[in-house]
Amino acid sequence: MIHDLKNVNPEARVSVKLVSELGVGTVAAGVAKAHADHVTISGFEGGTGASPITSIQHAGSPWEIGLAETHETLVRNRLRGRIAVQVDGGFRTGRDVVIGALLGADEFGIATAALVSAGCIMMRKCHLNTCPVGVATQDPELRKLFTGQPEHVINFFTFLAEEVRELMASMGFRRFDDMIGRRDHLDTRSVIEHWKARNLDLSRILHSITPGPGVAIRQCEDQDHGLDKALDNMLIEKAAPALESGTPVRIETPVANTNRTVGAMLSGRIAKKYGHAGLPDGTIHVKFKGSAGQSFGAFAAKGVTLELEGGGNDYVGKGLSGGRLIIYPAKAGNFAPERNIVVGNTVLYGGIEGECYFRGVAGERFAVRNSGVNAVVEGVGDHGCEYMTGGVVVVLGQTGRNFAAGMSGGIAYVLDEHGDFEERCNRSMVDLEHFDENGPTSGGDVMADMTRDDARRLRFMIEKHAEYTGSDLARRILDLWDHYLPMFVKVFPTDYRRALEELKAASAHGTLEGATVAAGE
Amino acid sequence: MGKITGFKEIARRDSSYAPVGERIRHYREFVIPLPEEQLREQGARCMDCGIPYCHNGCPVNNLIPDWNDLVYDGNWRAALDALHATNNFPEFTGRICPAPCEASCTLNITDNPVTIKNIECAIIDRGWEEGWIEPKISQRRTGKRVAVVGSGPAGLACAQQLARVGHAVTLYERNARLGGLLRYGIPDFKLEKHLIDRRLSQMLAEGVEFRSNVEVGVTISVDEVLSDHDAVVLTGGSEVPRDMETTPGRELDGVHFAMDFLTQQNRRVAEEHIGDNRPILAGGKHVVVIGGGDTGSDCVGTSIRQGAASVTQIEIMPKPPEAENKALTWPNWPMKLRTSSSHLEGAERDWSISTRAFKGDGGRVTSIELIRNQWETGADGRMSMVEVPGTEFEIKADLVLLAMGFLHPRHDGAVDGCGVEKDARGNVLANEEDYRTSREGVFAAGDMRRGQSLVVWAIREGRQAARAVDTYLMGESSLPG
Repeated sequence: MIHDLKNVNPEARVSVKLVSELGVGTVAAGVAKAHADHVTISGFEGGTGASPITSIQHAGSPWEIGLAETHETLVRNRLRGRIAVQVDGGFRTGRDVVIGALLGADEFGIATAALVSAGCIMMRKCHLNTCPVGVATQDPELRKLFTGQPEHVINFFTFLAEEVRELMASMGFRRFDDMIGRRDHLDTRSVIEHWKARNLDLSRILHSITPGPGVAIRQCEDQDHGLDKALDNMLIEKAAPALESGTPVRIETPVANTNRTVGAMLSGRIAKKYGHAGLPDGTIHVKFKGSAGQSFGAFAAKGVTLELEGGGNDYVGKGLSGGRLIIYPAKAGNFAPERNIVVGNTVLYGGIEGECYFRGVAGERFAVRNSGVNAVVEGVGDHGCEYMTGGVVVVLGQTGRNFAAGMSGGIAYVLDEHGDFEERCNRSMVDLEHFDENGPTSGGDVMADMTRDDARRLRFMIEKHAEYTGSDLARRILDLWDHYLPMFVKVFPTDYRRALEELKAASAHGTLEGATVAAGE
Repeated sequence: MGKITGFKEIARRDSSYAPVGERIRHYREFVIPLPEEQLREQGARCMDCGIPYCHNGCPVNNLIPDWNDLVYDGNWRAALDALHATNNFPEFTGRICPAPCEASCTLNITDNPVTIKNIECAIIDRGWEEGWIEPKISQRRTGKRVAVVGSGPAGLACAQQLARVGHAVTLYERNARLGGLLRYGIPDFKLEKHLIDRRLSQMLAEGVEFRSNVEVGVTISVDEVLSDHDAVVLTGGSEVPRDMETTPGRELDGVHFAMDFLTQQNRRVAEEHIGDNRPILAGGKHVVVIGGGDTGSDCVGTSIRQGAASVTQIEIMPKPPEAENKALTWPNWPMKLRTSSSHLEGAERDWSISTRAFKGDGGRVTSIELIRNQWETGADGRMSMVEVPGTEFEIKADLVLLAMGFLHPRHDGAVDGCGVEKDARGNVLANEEDYRTSREGVFAAGDMRRGQSLVVWAIREGRQAARAVDTYLMGESSLPG
């Protein structure tokens, strides 16, 4: 994930947020080795106004514990220099910041205090849309009540920084960097006489490490992400005419499973220049041959078509953002593609837009958290379409168990040749229904209205699948359409249907706004 | 809790008053409560804030969001229990408290606060009506004896709390009846006295021994009280009024302290003898009340009921703003113009006025000479009040009532008798942690310790002092504080 994100935007720092608890140091060391630029140790005293009071008060541990352990583990493993350590969780004053620095943090997260300076009164109603001071609400009436000014926040941070400066001066530090990890400057005294404080032993938190010679105790270098080895450098070079002027290009290249995250950096370039609108359909067409590494086509942008003859790995099309992915087995293969795996697990994880055509079977958790990609595949493993919220998935074969668990939006069409799909589908949130050519039709765009046009839409998508992948199975279904159509089951989330119907009714009455609210509930 | 969007949908509705023409003909209460449905709706306005500022706005830390919600749900019995958890006498505060809780209500930032006080009053009135309020008789006796000297709100709360954990409490009161300022200071039209009697019956059943007409240090010696008890709590209130000794004509007949005037009227209503004082009556007179606070306001309402020819209330400080700057004041109690029900009954009010002299004829006051003042910044940067030359004027005055606040408790009697140390203002010295005075076993609470303040503060101090005494006697205490 860190590598994927770094590819799509090499200039951004990739940060991993960890909960402050015992053992967090080991996790942070792993994160540093996985080349995150930044790690946040998050203490329990923070939390948004939407979190239950029990979570705020009883989940997690103080940031001091996690930070002390993280810093020590990173220093001992000579990893501290290449990762920035941030800490947050209830920071209010300059004193908090100084203690955080002495315990080993480079950076600090301050949210609640800054919000308070802008007018937040900690009503803890952020999740109810009823913030009475207009800070955390979408209600236009309540938003009018917001009185915060940028200057209020500026003042807060100015005074905070001033306090830090004063404390640094009193300890004799000239630069903030000199203060990081200097636990020898921390002292304790028993401030309160309380039975709970009596048995506290802070020595392990305050334990001073003596780093070996040349071992960094603060961030002073950058991670080596190995981006120079990415296949995308070549793709970007060859796609220069498309990136600069939108001239269509076609690239052919072999690919191997050492090529991770193919297409992400290229898509990042497109997004940087053209935004989410991207390039016209098919402007950059890359034909790969071979077995791709993880995250093939991650974040692929509009205008990018990635055609792969061979096979994909896990995370194909992760976060797909408008591109088209076509994957089919090598033509020389003497096996039946519709019975063999062509892409791995967790394909299309969190995709938002685009198209996928996979001639073959996908692994587990296909299209998990998909929110808008339309995909055709010839079979899926367990937990297909889990937590899906949008898009259309066509499965021209068997599914694993627990299909559609937590699926709240989008639809799926499953070819149920043996009539046993119902047993493998998790029906807690979805309805299953059959449809035929005589179903209601809008007569317009087949992808526009999910309550109608089912047969037309299905046929349209299978036709494209056949065209792009040369699938014999798709061809056969189209040829024997009247035979196969009745065997398709439409998986339709109950709430999604209700919301669509309310929207439709409302737009007919011209009260779209009210219906959007209803659909969002 | 409550209704999540209640505050956006429901406007604040207050209880109303009987018409002026009707209410000034008697001394009874004249508040018309909201009907039950409307009141429950008002409870729905409470947002159940993540940080309920009302908890600290209220001196007794009432669990306001809890009972607002219970009232909204119609669960009056549970609401009553939640209310009594922090306040011994909600029927007093529900009537006469200025409701600092409402000033600190989150809704008060941008809208009108929840009608907390009305809801409180409705809960407790309902509790009495339904017969839910019974004596809480302690199941154990500690064998410890405690004397509480002074039966105002602090003394009553302290005595009740101590009795409920099994101490033998004697409550001393120098007047004929118990209640202190609740009984003799606050007019009946704001707080009917049968409400106090009802509570006293409960306390009697809980084992508190009442000794009225006994003034500690006068009728009975301090040493006797001290030797008879394991602890003594001084809750005598702040009784010495601010005077105008240096103002010419102060000695004239017809210039009286507000409390003398108010006490007489309360005694008349109660058909109690007014003592050997000469009657102070406002009927047919031009009344001038000096002092713009709550006591002054009570003088206005009482004078009007007695049939005064005119009532004028003057205040030395400038007129406060009609609306406060909430960005600066919230959640604190704001300085702003406050108009009481008595003011609405037909009084003139004026501000920034200093009194130069009382003028009289044959020893009786007939007029009062006034001058306008203003605040100026002096050379040392300090603000000071100066009279504006040429603004002198005179108004008719047959009765002048001095309502300029109270300085400190009376020192003769119990305070000096106990020999306790006093602070710079003349109040009995004790802190809010243990309420102990400089003398072993003697505690002080309420206005006697903190100086003149609200009934609700007195209740708080009485409760906390009870806890302090209980801890002192038993080593630990189960009482809330």
